[in-house]
Amino acid sequence: MMALSDFVAELDQLAAQAQEAFDAASSQETLEAARIEFLGAKSGRLKAIQKQMGKVDKADKPAAGKRLNEVKQAIEETFTEASERLASGDTAGSSDVVFDTSLPGTSLAFGRLHPISQTIDELMDIMGRLGFSAAEGPEIEDDWHNFEALNIPREHPARDPLDNFYLSTAKQNANAPDDVLLLRSQTSTVQIRVMSKTPPPIRIISLGRVYRPDTADATHYPMFHQMEGLLIDKQVTMADLKSVLRLFATSYLGSEVHIRFRPSFFPFTEPSVEADFSWNDNWIEFGGAGMVDPNVLKAVGYDPDEVTGFAFGLGVERLCMRRHGVSDIREFYKNDVRFLQQF
Amino acid sequence: MIVSWNWLKDYVPLNMPLSEAEERLAMAGLNHEGTEKIGDDFAIDLEVTSNRPDCLGHVGVAREIAVLWDENLTVPNPTPATSATGISDVASVSIEAPELCSRYNARLIRGVKVGPSPDWLAQRLKTLGLAVISNVVDITNYVMMECGQPLHAFDFAHLKGGKIIVRGATKDEPFMAIDHRQYVLRPGMCVIADESRPVALGGVMGGADSEVSESTVDVLIEAADFTPLAIRSTARALRLHSPSSYRFERGVDPAGIDWASRRACEMILDLAGGELSDGVIDVEPDPPAAREPVVFRFSQVKRILGIELEASRVEGILSRLGMDRVKGDKQSAQFVAPTWRRDLTREIDLIEEVARIHGYDEIPEDVGVPMAPSNRRDVDRVKQIVRQVLLASGFSEAMTASVVDEKSSSAYSPWSQAEPIRSSTPMLRGADCLRRSLIPSLLESRRINESLANDTIELFETAKVYLPREGQLPEEPVMISLTSGRDFFAVKGVIEAILSALHVDGTLKTVPVNDPFLDTQQSCQLLIDDEAFGFLGVVSAASTKAASLRNPTTIAEIRMDVLQKTSRLVPQFNPLSPYPAINYDFNFIVDENVAWAEIAGTVGEAGGECLEDIHYQETYRDPERDGSGRKRLMLSVRLRSDQQTLTGEQADEIRQAIISACEKQHGAALLG
Repeated sequence: MMALSDFVAELDQLAAQAQEAFDAASSQETLEAARIEFLGAKSGRLKAIQKQMGKVDKADKPAAGKRLNEVKQAIEETFTEASERLASGDTAGSSDVVFDTSLPGTSLAFGRLHPISQTIDELMDIMGRLGFSAAEGPEIEDDWHNFEALNIPREHPARDPLDNFYLSTAKQNANAPDDVLLLRSQTSTVQIRVMSKTPPPIRIISLGRVYRPDTADATHYPMFHQMEGLLIDKQVTMADLKSVLRLFATSYLGSEVHIRFRPSFFPFTEPSVEADFSWNDNWIEFGGAGMVDPNVLKAVGYDPDEVTGFAFGLGVERLCMRRHGVSDIREFYKNDVRFLQQF
Repeated sequence: MIVSWNWLKDYVPLNMPLSEAEERLAMAGLNHEGTEKIGDDFAIDLEVTSNRPDCLGHVGVAREIAVLWDENLTVPNPTPATSATGISDVASVSIEAPELCSRYNARLIRGVKVGPSPDWLAQRLKTLGLAVISNVVDITNYVMMECGQPLHAFDFAHLKGGKIIVRGATKDEPFMAIDHRQYVLRPGMCVIADESRPVALGGVMGGADSEVSESTVDVLIEAADFTPLAIRSTARALRLHSPSSYRFERGVDPAGIDWASRRACEMILDLAGGELSDGVIDVEPDPPAAREPVVFRFSQVKRILGIELEASRVEGILSRLGMDRVKGDKQSAQFVAPTWRRDLTREIDLIEEVARIHGYDEIPEDVGVPMAPSNRRDVDRVKQIVRQVLLASGFSEAMTASVVDEKSSSAYSPWSQAEPIRSSTPMLRGADCLRRSLIPSLLESRRINESLANDTIELFETAKVYLPREGQLPEEPVMISLTSGRDFFAVKGVIEAILSALHVDGTLKTVPVNDPFLDTQQSCQLLIDDEAFGFLGVVSAASTKAASLRNPTTIAEIRMDVLQKTSRLVPQFNPLSPYPAINYDFNFIVDENVAWAEIAGTVGEAGGECLEDIHYQETYRDPERDGSGRKRLMLSVRLRSDQQTLTGEQADEIRQAIISACEKQHGAALLG
């Protein structure tokens, strides 16, 4: 048995296909071929459907027959129109209506990924190809992960309340720094978490939001994204660091890039450097880098005489601003859809 | 630190062009911020990292130049002449707070003539941007800028009892500083007092009524060392930052304290006259132990820096930096770092010194780093698929701040009723609550877009929320949140599409929520099977108004971790049935309160294993024909067997089973 709805659906589909074929015909020959396909008296597709009438429930037969006739008539009319159109020798047809190809296509509403996400994806992709796997950790951190293990002792200025978002939890008091919680000021915390759990070798990037109490202006925002790379193994040297950064920068910029180190100071690396890359004959600041400080290796239970490693970090917003020519960091967090649609 | 080009020449020959000096110093750690020509001199602004206080004076910078260009460094050796009277006869120093001040050195000069400084001295201070005051005061500043040791000159006549008492401030102790402003002190701050009152805030600023003036005749020169942490918190608390506090915060050279005092006295005698009392009062309750030698294994250079250096090259660099080689052999040597380099205590610190002086440009950038596999995390795979669906559905990605104000925080918090975690300083204006939902932030973005007359506002964000937990770090689940101008079912459809794209193993269910933030009816909690997964709803009229939104919006917030747990990232192939399908339409009349999910469940059960698909068509209400409180649910089903072509009889049997199950369980009447 065949449901009436199926029968009707087949008919409607045939009508649509016939119209498409007749409209598309650009010569009498192709039109005739299409006519035979759909309306052919012996083996036309309409004829084939007509044969299925027998399977339709007896009660539905009158309705099915009526529909069959309507569709047959419609297909024949379409054929006549197409035939006349071709006879007139003009694909525009005999009517006054002009087909305007310059009209816009049917609009497709699709969204855009935030430019920061696009930059992060690019960075993760490049670092992934260099063998670095992504790692994540909590944004709310304790004293040990954010400071102590990173070789930032109690009296270090980096712990100043004016430079960190400490959290006012019930337990917290200044005399018991072990209870201190804060919004992490760097993604290096993730490195500590990974190293504490995993024996070397380590090759990771940590990516995510970090927080520092800067007043928001064109180049500062109290929340931003950081990417940090970490490689720990036997026989890792500063030459490896420079070479990985060069591979990274060359992949990112797509041309031959050189890396320059300038001495700097970070508690968790020693030696510490600012890395620059050459681009269009200029040195562009890349970010901070260095060899993981032996105190950090010891803090996570590694032996600094067994393994060495390097770490580097960069601000995603700054890179993204340069990449897309964004002049004000605050644009990223306003979420004006006209802004988002530019990327 | 601004240095004068001409002044540096006092200590080291400058045969190189200025630009070369700037460049090479930058490459050795003194970043060049800029240079300004002042008269016939250059003021060179160098950025000094916090570990290098030795470069906060001209001698220190000159030492770096001497090392880098292999020149000799000439540092004067001040030997001021003294008179017969001893200082101890008239003055005394006691340190009552050794935790705030580890050393206090005083010299006394009597009969000075306070007046203007000579031009050469005034000019040097002006080049550095310092105010020129009087010969005695200018000399203390000059010596600080020469060697990095801050000094203070007291008018000795105003030190009652000739006494210097170094003590902690008392609670709310008033102090009038040289800037003629009144400060209120508190314990933990270091006060320099005479017999009766504070005369200086140790290491930060002198006092108004003991300052050197034109009438001053006798001056006491203070050279001291104050505890860095105490100085920093004092300067911060009082917002009183001075070149002195800047240097004490970073630490001064303990061996340079007496040198600075002698140097200043020599210059005062020379430029302001007077007589230096014999001797010095130098109080140091707990002198530091001699510095331990650092063992340097020469093989570590290659191991850390990746380049080979001759031991002689290493030793040459370290000795020019002032390191004292106490013993050693071919494999290693022991070095004692100079007093002005407190940052050098370990082998790795010396390796850094070797690297920066030898030059980082000597380290190659093209060594073969071994390959290693990297893994893509499941959470990233899930995130990518979620984003693909959302982008295709017309949603753009937003990013909003993790910390929100009280109003936003309390507007909507479906995941936790615990008080939000607060930051002790607000992140943006008034924002000190770590958010428990992304929705209020997205509605704020929506409001901004409405105010900009943007008509299509379809936004999503994936970010963490912060849910407090007793006795441990807060839970930080990642949420995927949406705000849309479309209706409830449009957004529900997007969520269903996400589940479909992730091949989520489980059934999406809705249960009512009673949250005044959302419309009473058009809102629900979402479950995957029985696991809480998210919330979906149209924002209630009152909340829309409260969020200053003009137009209605539908929101949803779902948990990434539940998605990840239930998704099948590597779907498995199901053999396709080669047999034809049979479709049936049903039009059931049911009571209003019969939910689609119930009918669908019953149809699914009754349909058995040949039921391939249930498809909802529409709901239609015709009270005139069906009576009030009734609705028509139209649906179609597709039947297909993977064993055989279903016969008409088999299919009809299933159809009848569906009809009677719906009738029996839900009182559904089949129409037509």
